[in-house]
Amino acid sequence: MADRLERLTNLVAVLLETRRPLTLEEIVERVPGYPAERESYRRQFERDKSTLREIGVPIALEALYAFDQETGYRIHREDYELPALDLTEDERVALHLAVTAVRLEGGAGESADGGAGREALLKLGGFEGSAAPTLDSVAALPDVPALPALFDAYRRRARVTFTYRGGTRRLDPYGILFRNGHWYAVGFDADREAIRAFRADRIESGIEPGPARAFERPEGFDPASALRDEPWRFGDEAPVEALVLVSPTQAGWVEADLGSKAVAERRDDGSVVVRMAVTNRDAFRSFVLGLLDHAEVLGPPELRADMVAWLTALAGGSPSGKASG
Amino acid sequence: MTRPDAALRLRRLLTIIPWIVDHQGSRLDDLAARFGLKVADLERDLELVPFCGLPPYTPDRLIDCEIVDGRVFLRFAEYFGRPLRLTPAEGFSLLAAGQALLAVPGADENGSLASALGKLAGVLGGGDGMAVELGAARYLDPLRAAAAASECVEIDYYTFGRDEVTTRRIDPRAVFAAAGQWYVDAYCHRAADDRLFRVDRVRGVRPTGEHFDPATTGGAAGGGLFHPRPSDRRVTLLLNADVGWVTESYPTESVEEMPDGRLKVVLVANERAWLERLLLRLGPSAEITEPAEVRAEAEEAARRLLVHYG
Repeated sequence: MADRLERLTNLVAVLLETRRPLTLEEIVERVPGYPAERESYRRQFERDKSTLREIGVPIALEALYAFDQETGYRIHREDYELPALDLTEDERVALHLAVTAVRLEGGAGESADGGAGREALLKLGGFEGSAAPTLDSVAALPDVPALPALFDAYRRRARVTFTYRGGTRRLDPYGILFRNGHWYAVGFDADREAIRAFRADRIESGIEPGPARAFERPEGFDPASALRDEPWRFGDEAPVEALVLVSPTQAGWVEADLGSKAVAERRDDGSVVVRMAVTNRDAFRSFVLGLLDHAEVLGPPELRADMVAWLTALAGGSPSGKASG
Repeated sequence: MTRPDAALRLRRLLTIIPWIVDHQGSRLDDLAARFGLKVADLERDLELVPFCGLPPYTPDRLIDCEIVDGRVFLRFAEYFGRPLRLTPAEGFSLLAAGQALLAVPGADENGSLASALGKLAGVLGGGDGMAVELGAARYLDPLRAAAAASECVEIDYYTFGRDEVTTRRIDPRAVFAAAGQWYVDAYCHRAADDRLFRVDRVRGVRPTGEHFDPATTGGAAGGGLFHPRPSDRRVTLLLNADVGWVTESYPTESVEEMPDGRLKVVLVANERAWLERLLLRLGPSAEITEPAEVRAEAEEAARRLLVHYG
């Protein structure tokens, strides 16, 4: 009996070389090693097909002739082949270093044989083993099950559907961004009709992709600027500009976090006054309280009074509003 | 005959055959090293190749594979002239790793890595919509330089949990990004133990001119960043539904939904400042059930902050 590897290799060759889809019977006739009985060879072929799909061989199921009911299988060369990248040896070394220095943890990218990144490197021509340089681990990024499918939809421009916080969402993924330790899919939310970002690890379902080339990515779209990460700006409240005094110990950190443009005043003792545009008062209060004794709301009077009322209630005074994240 | 590793071996063959087609006469041992295989495994798979091809499997339709004096030659395998395209997971992993290394401050934005990623993105499609940010921290550069040179440094470090700045001498072994932060893995002379420091909490770095032997200062302090011990202080809170996010953002020991819809959460809270921040933020949305003294501590913290608003 022929080796399964031999049969699979021949199957790929036959499906790549055919100029029209082949029916199951034609395949069994051309590729040695299938059992004689119909039910057995059908099952065997199904197993082979799923093995091929598992390693990424794109098997197309198509009508034999136009308007024909009968279907057959083939592999389109342009879907199968890796286009030439023409990497220089230096570029191959650089990618190799990246894969050794950056770990994708806890998902499809991590496996005993070095993960998907390493597998990709082999397809790009592997690496001269004896000379392979490595870097110490420089970064660890979480891997999330939804990422490959989101990435695939992003690059094929396919609208995706998924469950997020209990609701069904439809997104045209314009980009994928890693920030503050989390992966985000950023794009056009078809239901909210606005740019939205979704944390990939909070997606509660599989990713259902729609057809490819379903949308155009806006010219110059930058996922980094589309994702605002200052929670006190996430809100629909009337905007106010807050001024917060930050003590010298935390001034450097706050300035790095908010950006130098936020600094309204630098005092001689090293403390700074920062300006914050607030549309979400709960989130603003949370940020200031996180600085404990190192921050004081200077104004406007309304926000200062809000903070005093909050702290007074906690200190055993009269109760106040609701809490926030 | 179903071999459990047929998929793996096929994937390997479909990767190696195109390389040999392009590099006739490659040495068997070089090929094995390049593709991370044992020579014997590679040989076993290549021995199968001459039996593969197209119907009617006459010699002129079979792949011609010869190993002569340890060198491999392949003919009549035009249909395997190119490797299989990258799977979404492979493409994503490679781009993500490359983008991450490029995001390390000081990386050459016009170097080989950047040009390789450009070519890769061109082939995969999608354009430049994928970005990795590792963030920056004021003292990242001097700490990375010190780690690279195995140089002891003195740092001023802000301890978040105690809200205080201390000065300590450390042997920085490695600087790395994880969980959205930059960390220094170091031996701390003050603690006389290995410690992980967050780079954004470093408030000053001074060289000492002294060096340490990277080989002798123990292993990485890696692993989890937070290990509760039985002796740690535990705090039990009843949380209103609107602050359920606490269970996502803080390490909890247990979460239990109460009949009234509130969540009963047990947190490990050794550090005073850490707990103060949490309780001040939660305000009336959290009820402290035990221990009772924590209630008094929260009130005290609120009174202390109120002094600023005098």
